Amino acid sequence: METGIQALLAPLVVSIVALILMMQIAFKRHAIVSWLLGCTGFILAILALKPMADIVPKMVTPLLLSDQYSLFFSALILFSGLITTLLAKDYLQNRRGENEEFYLLLLLSSLGAMILVSATHVASFLLGMELLGVALYALIAYPERGQLPLEAAIKYLILSGAASAILLFGFALIYAVLGTLSFVGIGQALTQPILEDQQLLILLGTAMVFTGIGFKLSLVPFHMWTPDVYQGAPVPVTGFLATVSKGAIFAALLRLFIDAELYQYQGLMLSLSVLAIASMLAGNLLALKQDNLKRILAYSSIAHIGYLFITLIVYGVLQQPGLAVEAATFYLSAYIITSLAAFSLLSIISSNISETDLDDISHIQGLFWRQPMLALMLTIALLSLAGIPLTVGFIGKFYIFTAGIEGSLWVLLAALIIGSGISIYYYLRIVFQMTMKEPAGGSGAANMDPNSVRLSVLSKFVVWLLIFMMLYLGVLPQTLMEYLGGLSL
Amino acid sequence: MEGLIIPLNHVLIVAALLFATGLAGLMFRRNVIFILMSLEVMLNSAGLAFVAAGAAWAQADGQVIFMLILAVAAAEVSVGLGLVLQVQKRFKTLDMDHAQKLNG
Repeated sequence: METGIQALLAPLVVSIVALILMMQIAFKRHAIVSWLLGCTGFILAILALKPMADIVPKMVTPLLLSDQYSLFFSALILFSGLITTLLAKDYLQNRRGENEEFYLLLLLSSLGAMILVSATHVASFLLGMELLGVALYALIAYPERGQLPLEAAIKYLILSGAASAILLFGFALIYAVLGTLSFVGIGQALTQPILEDQQLLILLGTAMVFTGIGFKLSLVPFHMWTPDVYQGAPVPVTGFLATVSKGAIFAALLRLFIDAELYQYQGLMLSLSVLAIASMLAGNLLALKQDNLKRILAYSSIAHIGYLFITLIVYGVLQQPGLAVEAATFYLSAYIITSLAAFSLLSIISSNISETDLDDISHIQGLFWRQPMLALMLTIALLSLAGIPLTVGFIGKFYIFTAGIEGSLWVLLAALIIGSGISIYYYLRIVFQMTMKEPAGGSGAANMDPNSVRLSVLSKFVVWLLIFMMLYLGVLPQTLMEYLGGLSL
Repeated sequence: MEGLIIPLNHVLIVAALLFATGLAGLMFRRNVIFILMSLEVMLNSAGLAFVAAGAAWAQADGQVIFMLILAVAAAEVSVGLGLVLQVQKRFKTLDMDHAQKLNG
């Protein structure tokens, strides 16, 4: 039992800090104390990963598996959580209302994500996913005023709840046929001969599971909620949603996919290919006509999930599937770091001036002339999202490209190239907006007095760190590549 | 565990019908309260399928998952109802078609 506790140290630390934070809020509200507790929780949990790394892989009950893979994703989740907490302080400061619970919800949501990435059983998968989701509903609706966050939260709640129900029904059908709920068990049972009409149930169940996950990951055609929720949610929460929620669900999907050996089903692989191509093309095309920065990033996230799905399909065709996992984890890390940077910058731009988020493209017009540093950093983040060399986004895309060539998936690669080509247009459009001369008398970031912008040391530190990581991993990706090469699933 | 007395397929058909009812309600109802109810119906239909399958395999797993689904659905609906109160307060309506500000 001793090692069992050690193997789950980070999630335990997060839960304990969440409980302490809850007590603190119940007895005496104090925004700074809550914020400090939130930061401490994340930092302690990151430190707790070290003793966990000594004893992995370790199965804790049949539900959770602590291994290199789950540790790596836990680290990413905790890092994103910490960044969001750090940024939220400045962001919430200018807004009225009680802000203490924000940090509590962030901790709980990250806890759910960590459980999700170590899940090896439907029960832990369900619990992790819902803990992540339910805390997120509240986070999205957090701002006291305004109708947009509320509408976004309701939309997210309804669609995410429906996705969970579809997913669960799919698992129920699979369970009805196979009689097991653990991922590995499902994989083993699938190798046994199955009756014809039961095959149909399995097929239906798998389709429903992937529909549910597709909703959560916002694959086309299940993507309708994404732009609205991204736009309505407060910026730091949008960043958290885009990175932690998407990343954790994809990581869990990858484990399910590999453990349950779903890659051997040609029909499934074919439909996943279609969904991936549709996401890459539709995501990028729809982003073209958006004028809201958050909506652009939402559509670009749809496309990025499409790119990621190439790795799943590669896994099925490749003889040595290690490359697919490596490509998926690298791309996901790159995407998380880059998105965090982009949303952090939007959050900083928004948090200085107004009660509402400044997310319209006209708001950042002329940003280069007023805030050259911020504009430059946003440019780097956007270039990394577009996959321009010297940034981590390029290495990630290159990885997926290599994996795709190994698997000879020419149609998917064509979609990847066309999608990336389109995406450059709308990323650069934002950059051009920033270089334009500011409009006379307009409102927005361009017209703010440079002196009124107080970039706190904290925000500066956060964005510099993210930009540094993006460039460092873009120029010298070897360390991360070697580490990820050693990850096994 | 006695196992299931009626054929599993029959229960699965009932569960599928319930699920379809919930899904239809979710898509065609416009009132937030009814949408939340439909969501609950969908989650519970999955729960029913789990319980039946668990009984058919004479395992406790199905029921355990059902308990988890109950807890999850309760959590989801309690947050949902909290949001519904806010919707009523800020939009002065519970009709989702009239509470649309985001262009999607």
